Amino acid sequence: MPSVEPDNKPSWADQVEDLDDDVDDVPTTSGSSKVDALIAISDEELPPPEEVIDGDTKIITEYSINDEGKKIKIIRTYRVETRKASKTIARRKAWPKFGESEYEGPGPNPSTTAICDDIFMTFVTNKEEALNEKEEDPMAKLKGTRIVQCRICKGDHWTTKCPYKDTLGPIQEELDKSDKPGEAGAAGASGAEGQAPPARAPGGKYVPPSLRGANRGPGESMQQRRDDQATIRVTNLSEDTRESDLQELFRPFGAISRIYLAKDKVTHQSKGFAFINFHRREDAARAITGVNGFGYDNLILNVEWARPSTQQ
Amino acid sequence: MKPLMLQGHTRAITQIRYNREGDLLFSCAKDTKPCVWYSLNGERLGTYNGHNGAVWAMDVDWQTTKVLTAAADNSARLWDCETGKQLFQWDTNNAVRTCGFSYSGDTIMFCTDRQMGYNPTLDIYDIRAGEQLANNAPLLSIPIDGPKVTSAVWGGLDEYIITGHESGEFSQFDVKSGERVRNVKVHTKQINDIQLNKDRTMFVSASKDTNAMLFDADSLDHLKTYKTERPVNSAAMSPRMDHVVLGGGQEAMQVTTTSTRIGKFDARFFHLIFEEEFGRVKGHFGPINSVAFHPDGRSYSSGGEDGYVRVHYFDPQYFEFEFEF
Repeated sequence: MPSVEPDNKPSWADQVEDLDDDVDDVPTTSGSSKVDALIAISDEELPPPEEVIDGDTKIITEYSINDEGKKIKIIRTYRVETRKASKTIARRKAWPKFGESEYEGPGPNPSTTAICDDIFMTFVTNKEEALNEKEEDPMAKLKGTRIVQCRICKGDHWTTKCPYKDTLGPIQEELDKSDKPGEAGAAGASGAEGQAPPARAPGGKYVPPSLRGANRGPGESMQQRRDDQATIRVTNLSEDTRESDLQELFRPFGAISRIYLAKDKVTHQSKGFAFINFHRREDAARAITGVNGFGYDNLILNVEWARPSTQQ
Repeated sequence: MKPLMLQGHTRAITQIRYNREGDLLFSCAKDTKPCVWYSLNGERLGTYNGHNGAVWAMDVDWQTTKVLTAAADNSARLWDCETGKQLFQWDTNNAVRTCGFSYSGDTIMFCTDRQMGYNPTLDIYDIRAGEQLANNAPLLSIPIDGPKVTSAVWGGLDEYIITGHESGEFSQFDVKSGERVRNVKVHTKQINDIQLNKDRTMFVSASKDTNAMLFDADSLDHLKTYKTERPVNSAAMSPRMDHVVLGGGQEAMQVTTTSTRIGKFDARFFHLIFEEEFGRVKGHFGPINSVAFHPDGRSYSSGGEDGYVRVHYFDPQYFEFEFEF
């Protein structure tokens, strides 16, 4: 091994692949059918690989056959760089290859060295990080699920501590009772009318309309579009249901602004579904958890959020 | 940045290391042939052929003349760096988990696993002494009672060896007496990697308990913690900036037994002092098993369970980035 010149001379060449690998399809000579083409290629000799060094660029042209039997011409362009380096590094650069690379020529071998696509370091700020952590924390998921569920209003507390114990509880009992003798549910509902729940706001305090809801501005106008946010849809109602029954059923959850019960135009009987507009979305949410699956009039009620009318 | 992808291994990478000048990059994997590459252009210089099992760790001395490998074929081997010829082979009772050259390059250490009824031992040899090699009589052999050693480095001017254990403990062994000088336990699960900083006063540990931590190499005082959500397989300190890079990820085989999902095998950059993450680099499609900074701090490499080594040269944005505080 000839000794390597000291620092001041550009001592070793370095080849960096330039990532403009061109893959050109070379049209096959005979093209009547695919099989013909394959045979034609297997008969034909592939041109030998060429290597052209022009100044500081090295162009290697190779030919191969791809899976479809087409000839492929691969042009790799390398930039040859000369860098100054310390003696030891320069000496190491001149080491002959060994092991698995023993028979490889100078420069990177494309089968072991590749250049990846451009990637960037993404800089994260603390805020994003905090958000990410929230998403990923498995305990966060548990927080949403309830461990204790009230039998009356399905709220997140014990049945005995239910704030609707006095209001909703008797209704349920009454309904259960009336279910047993097989009476019509309407009668049960009217029976509960005797102990109609006291008109009590869920917070226990009067809230002026201007302050109701989260983002309500000063005053409410009559023309204002109904707030779909706090509307729930009740389905699987019996035909005998009346608006007063619904009023009674949903009143305990919060102030109701409007009840719409779909009725047949001719018979004036319920079509089996209704929309209830609450003033507050939280009340509506509680009503959904409380009454969904509630046995009413021998039918199991289905309560969910009403879809916005535009989608219907 | 356009990373260089080195595809010389057929199985998961276990460790990568730069030599002192950083012109060569060494990689070993669960296949049997450790490789050496030119870090500048990703050209493979050669492979060290001879092992018959997974190679768990490797090291190179400061002059880049000798290479030491630790493998699961019950042997540790010494190679000539330039030619790839095997110089010596130590046969052990069971797999060799970790190995390292002392700073002087004259003494080596390696540590075996606990398997087949044999306790782990930490063996130290002076490779200049022919009789030690010929008679297989180590300069010092320290039996490890307790949890097995998963990672080890020389520390404190070659006066002691810092070992990281399966239980999350760190120990310091005196090289003269073979006594356990210090023992601390801060991590709660296995230590996967220990890497010293440039002046060898501190080391950063990577643990399965999802944290990486910074320790004083002399007193084993716990200094900083870098928290993530997945097991950390490797951590390295930048010699240029106050940065730490962490590589890790949930292994595919363990996704069903843990709560975290598969994916997100990013290399994560933390500020050394403020313990806050500021950057991520994507690319691997398996957990990152080993990361290493180039000694000049202008590039870093990562080797993953996917079998690839990626060499990244930082963009100017990385150097311009200022941590806000």
